[in-house]
Amino acid sequence: MKKPQIAADTRPWRDVDAKPFVRIANVTKTFGDVYAVDDVSLDIYKGELFCLLGGSGSGKSTLLRMLAGFETITSGTIEIDGQDMANVPPYERPVNMMFQSYALFPHMSVENNIAYGLKREGLPKGEIADRVAELLKLTRLENFKARKPHQLSGGQRQRVALARALAKRPKLLLLDEPLGALDKKLREDTQYELVKIQETLGVTFVVVTHDQEEAMSLATRIGVMTDGKIAQIGEPQEIYEFPNSRFVAGFVGSVNMFEGTVTEDEDDHIRIASQEAGCDIYVGHGVDCAPEQILWYAVRPEKMVLSRERPEGDANITHGFVQDVAYLGDMSVFRILLDSGKRVHVTQTNSSRYDPDAISWDEKVYISWASDAGAVLTS
Amino acid sequence: MRRGLALPIIAVLGFAFLYAPIISLVVFSFNESRLVTVWTGFSLQWYAALFQDSQIVSAAILSLQIAATSATIATVLGTLAGLALTRLGRFRGKTALTGMVSAPLVMPEVITGLSLLLLFVAMEATFGWPSGRGFTTIVLAHTTFCMAYVTVVVRSRLIDMDRSLDEAAMDLGATPLRVFFDITLPIISPALISGWLLAFTLSLDDLVIASFVSGPGSSTLPMVIFSKIRLGVSPDVNALATIIIVVVAIGVAGATWFGMRKPKNR
Repeated sequence: MKKPQIAADTRPWRDVDAKPFVRIANVTKTFGDVYAVDDVSLDIYKGELFCLLGGSGSGKSTLLRMLAGFETITSGTIEIDGQDMANVPPYERPVNMMFQSYALFPHMSVENNIAYGLKREGLPKGEIADRVAELLKLTRLENFKARKPHQLSGGQRQRVALARALAKRPKLLLLDEPLGALDKKLREDTQYELVKIQETLGVTFVVVTHDQEEAMSLATRIGVMTDGKIAQIGEPQEIYEFPNSRFVAGFVGSVNMFEGTVTEDEDDHIRIASQEAGCDIYVGHGVDCAPEQILWYAVRPEKMVLSRERPEGDANITHGFVQDVAYLGDMSVFRILLDSGKRVHVTQTNSSRYDPDAISWDEKVYISWASDAGAVLTS
Repeated sequence: MRRGLALPIIAVLGFAFLYAPIISLVVFSFNESRLVTVWTGFSLQWYAALFQDSQIVSAAILSLQIAATSATIATVLGTLAGLALTRLGRFRGKTALTGMVSAPLVMPEVITGLSLLLLFVAMEATFGWPSGRGFTTIVLAHTTFCMAYVTVVVRSRLIDMDRSLDEAAMDLGATPLRVFFDITLPIISPALISGWLLAFTLSLDDLVIASFVSGPGSSTLPMVIFSKIRLGVSPDVNALATIIIVVVAIGVAGATWFGMRKPKNR
């Protein structure tokens, strides 16, 4: 029988004694008076696939470029494998990068692109040939080795860029929007391939992306960035189900947010009066807050239930009017106007192929959710 | 129908305006008669006469040497200037340098020539170099104004080039010097060839600046032609002009072709 894995084996960030592989401490980067990265501290562990998620201008790419050595650090330190990187130029770092534009050398064949780093390292010819052959096989490019980059499709170029970045067997691989230039279908396939390669080789990956779905499916942990700061670091599920702020809740996935005032503050539950929701919100666990405090309750569309009859209970039940139903195949998205004037989204899985009695537009419905369905946010 | 005709007519008139003088010159270079304006029959005699004229042949050789030398130096310096303007980021005086680099493009040649002459004379008086005027001074002068053209060509190519190519090479362990020779140079090489050809052609064409800075015994081809014309137009000059037109046309066509070639993967 397979031995059950202990969480600390696969999730070193949960182990307080684990030594981080990349240690980013109080790093700040300014361009003029603009703070591109503002006092960021972050530990990344060996074998992780860490995603930096953020919109454009959030500082995620600048942070990545500082890891690669293309940008100098204004203040703070970056350590990789215990070594301070302050005075190490890019060409001496144990780090390789896969560029968003792929940056394949247009005047070199696929083979020579992949071999470039190995040649700079001064490896013997035979070994370079072996290593290149191995990578061509890994990325399924054997038949294209003599081609020039402009003779390849987007997906093939992406694989060449990956093979080239992996060639030197870096301890840390940085990927800048690795799937950004691919179309949706190819992107999904490549996503799994990337994870497979990462697991096979055991290389630590740091991926920059603006695509939250990509981050969720790739990452062991996600760092959500905004305005040069890290808003939250956590496993994908943590980020999605337990966001720490309204920004994170809204940035990752879609969410319904209700503003309210605390009316009951007990150790095992709190109650929030929310005019926006049009009902009381009952939270089945204690929250660090004070009575009369204004806070926000965030609940995901799929955690809400629609019904024509009013369910039992005195809280977490509100009423509205279906304005619109978007049928997406696997699920349907209901846009509902609450009596309070607030608009919410509710999704329902389409578990049967045809339901003549399904809730449709222009209907009045009750919306309810469980006492542990949402997150209480104070910022 | 009308609109269909108007355009070709305008085009023909335009081209005629541009090329009629050149065509008549080429045609008359094959004229048998000594008189430049009267056509008597086809002949290659003026081409034969041309190659027997030792003054013209030696001037042509000198011009080619000057053109090749100054084009080469201008390409090296122009590339460095182009790199400085695109790759060093922001530095003090960058805007001034950008403007000054292209100033020789619009400076009247008479002024460029005169100022260079004054400089060379002053330099000789101060530290004895360049001693007298001739090959060296013409090369220096041509390098000066050709460099501006090369800089413009190389700079625009560097602006087009994806910076992450250099970064990728550096990331893979190449030192900045290695990056330049392995990546940057091969990618901008069409611009270098195009710049060199342009510089070569410009140097070969130049009369005004060369007249200022040349010395005894170092007359370039345009200078020899100009002095011959002053004694009356002779058909062998037509033949010479035809050859120059062919050489220059090849140079410009080559420069354009290399300049337009772009790496397909970008």
